[in-house]
Amino acid sequence: MGEYIVEMRHITKRFPGIVANDDVTIQVKKGEIFALLGENGAGKSTLMSMLFGMYEPDEGEIWIRGKQERISSPSQATKLNIGMVHQHFKLVQNYTIGENIVLGIEPQKKALGLFPYVDMKSANERIRQLSQQYGLEVDPLKKIEDVNVSIQQRVEILKMLYREAEILIFDEPTAVLTPQEIEFLLEIIRGLRDGGKTIILITHKLEEIKQVADRCAILCQGKLVDVLDVASTSTKKMANLMVGREVSFQLEKSPAQYRQEVLRVEHLSVKNQDGFEVVKDVSFSIRGGEIFAIAGVSGNGQVELADAIAGLMKASGGTITLAGKDITNAEIRERTLDGISYIPEDRQSYGLVLDFTLAENLALKNYFQPPFCQKGILHKEEFDRYGEKLIGEYDIRSGQGIRTQVRSMSGGNQQKAIIAREIELGSPLMIFVQPTRGLDIGAIENIHKQILGERDQGKAILLISLELDEIMNLADTIGVIYNGQLLKIADASTLTSRQVGEFMMGVKA
Amino acid sequence: MSKRGEKTVSMKDRFLVRLLGNERWQAITIPVFAILLSLIAAAIVILLVGKNPLTAFQSLMQGSGLWPKASYAAKKSMLTDFMSFLDLMTPMLFAALAVAVAFKAGLFNIGVSGQMLCAGFAATAAVGYLEIPGVVAKPLVVLIGIVVGALVGGLIGFLKYRFNINEVVSSIMLNYIAQYVISFLIYTNYVDPVSRQSRYVLASARLTLADTEIGGLKMNIPLGFILALIAVAAVKFLMDKTRLGYELKTVGANSKAARYAGINVKKSIVASMMISGCLAGLAGVTYYLGYYASIGPRTLASTGFDAIAVSLLGNSNPVGILFSSFLITAITKGSTYMSSTVGVPQEIASVVTGLILLFSACGAYIQYMVKRSKDRMTEAQAEQHNGKEVDG
Repeated sequence: MGEYIVEMRHITKRFPGIVANDDVTIQVKKGEIFALLGENGAGKSTLMSMLFGMYEPDEGEIWIRGKQERISSPSQATKLNIGMVHQHFKLVQNYTIGENIVLGIEPQKKALGLFPYVDMKSANERIRQLSQQYGLEVDPLKKIEDVNVSIQQRVEILKMLYREAEILIFDEPTAVLTPQEIEFLLEIIRGLRDGGKTIILITHKLEEIKQVADRCAILCQGKLVDVLDVASTSTKKMANLMVGREVSFQLEKSPAQYRQEVLRVEHLSVKNQDGFEVVKDVSFSIRGGEIFAIAGVSGNGQVELADAIAGLMKASGGTITLAGKDITNAEIRERTLDGISYIPEDRQSYGLVLDFTLAENLALKNYFQPPFCQKGILHKEEFDRYGEKLIGEYDIRSGQGIRTQVRSMSGGNQQKAIIAREIELGSPLMIFVQPTRGLDIGAIENIHKQILGERDQGKAILLISLELDEIMNLADTIGVIYNGQLLKIADASTLTSRQVGEFMMGVKA
Repeated sequence: MSKRGEKTVSMKDRFLVRLLGNERWQAITIPVFAILLSLIAAAIVILLVGKNPLTAFQSLMQGSGLWPKASYAAKKSMLTDFMSFLDLMTPMLFAALAVAVAFKAGLFNIGVSGQMLCAGFAATAAVGYLEIPGVVAKPLVVLIGIVVGALVGGLIGFLKYRFNINEVVSSIMLNYIAQYVISFLIYTNYVDPVSRQSRYVLASARLTLADTEIGGLKMNIPLGFILALIAVAAVKFLMDKTRLGYELKTVGANSKAARYAGINVKKSIVASMMISGCLAGLAGVTYYLGYYASIGPRTLASTGFDAIAVSLLGNSNPVGILFSSFLITAITKGSTYMSSTVGVPQEIASVVTGLILLFSACGAYIQYMVKRSKDRMTEAQAEQHNGKEVDG
């Protein structure tokens, strides 16, 4: 019994219309790195949310250190020394790192023996000590909004350590990091294990599992497929088990057939809300049948560049020309009609209206045109018909078909819905920003095929991604953005990923 | 063994889930439940002042013409009271629709009362004292109500569009401006020296046919009520079936996504505030030139504020609002009669109205409680199931 620190036995969790976990049993040994691998919607995050007390299982038992426990809230999980780093960080932007770490368990002192106040001094001292011990350098006095994503992640890890967590859950920790930062994080995770902590790692990146994990459980459609010893299993086998079929790692990419120029951007500059120039004098052009990929570390102006082309941000200088027409100052609707499809980075706050039905969301870009709308009157049956058609053609899965509230759909299917809608517009220019963020291998493979398919149809494609692999696999032309400037534009075949990585860090300017 | 004791399902859980557990009907069952709760609370208050709640509620309904009184004066009957009730319900219905339209677009129109006053005053000043036939005067009054309401509502929308001024702030300020400027104008130009209110408008301009004899009964016939029913259908059509309604709802549900989809968010905001203002203007003319025939200076009609609760109680749905405004008007209207016959002080009658509005706003909380109870029950069932498996 004592061998396992965490045991989840016969866990079943249902959500309306879906069984997220179906009789899943996992056992984690003390001091190991245990990976959870699975496609989007396979139920990894749900399973871990139950261990962390965010949901309670419908059926099954959770045993911690050989004792059955009922974990009804995250604070209870914390009491059992369980900590979790979520995919989307839960930090207060305008608090300091130290304040974020102690939030909820602030050490108190009393001035004059009477007036309680938060003793940040000793807290910060303890944080410095912890960060030295585990190699997680942070300055506790800095504000969260002033530090980058990788530091924010360290803060999340320190938050767990400060609460003396022994069982650490990481939900897709590398999704937001650059290759160099990923190396560093994996090093930290190894260090934590060697320090006696138990790590549960949710990921879909096989190389990472191969690098750090000791054992790995594979989930597929809510069911446990297998638990494997990582050292003696090939990545290929893991991938096949996870998707439930043969996966081709190599995309079949035919040579590019360039056509006429579709998009020309000249000397484009964009200022953000604070008047700070985030895109500086950027020029490039994309031809039909070409995937132009922009590589760069997060926050270097790539999202603003896409927003400016789609019309969500104003250009402060330069021109944007679409198929010979100057659209620099055109309204968003006009650009859509002129032929821009846009898959935005933030699918939940921009790409979808979460409280609307799937049918309404699928028609979000053409609801005002016939047959959906005639003389200001909507024809709901046309919405439904169009929705059914797209659901079938693009294999969008949901609980209640066209009537499903999009909020209740999985991230992968939400993204499928956006991509279906944007492809169906038939625009000559398609902008994809981080199209596979947070998705799993099966979904990624699918989206990559779709992007290549559109390119082969003669579309001009602007792909913005933080995943270097994605760019190297798909791009015909690569532009590297650093600090708002395009440092390098070159044919993809002339660059190695190592070189692109260097440009991304601003080297070789 | 596990702490199975923690998961006990209380009677309350079973009760809530059985009563309100069906999600499909919650839009109806939860408001009805909220109303029942509020009536129980009101009954307790009435008991505390030493009166019989049943007689009190009965007189409440009698006052609104929903229950026959023991005796009636000459040429009066239950129908007379009911017509008068519909007369008062008309502005409430318009006002609640005004709140709902703004709310669907993500805006909070707290200035309905001010918009009502502006429209009512403009119609009174322009048409109220003109010696023209009713067939000309009445449509003119309605038209002025619509236009003035739309202008004031539109102004609030424009201030948000152009200068990003929060609509709650600007509409509260406009309420004050309207209230005092109009008081000043009434005192200087239209005051009745005895009542200290504006002089009664002529019957030709009034939207209620006062003291009309039909079948030997004298009653006030609210012409505006027909208009209000049309407005219910029109707002429902607008929201469900038109491009404009879809755009307003999109802006209300997620303004970022609306902008991304190419909807002109700022224009939608102005449009929704204009429509809301229109409806508020109609509330104004049916209130000041309908139920009443004059304007009391230095006060705002409470209708515009009660309408917020009415709209919430009706789930911002036009049909729901039809029912909720019926209920709230029945209570406000009946409370006067209740205080005079049963002897419940007028203040307590207002407390009862307040309680109902208060409970009606708790719908979301009740929904949350039901959900929690339901979760507890399914959990307990799962556990029982597990227990059996372990035992077996």
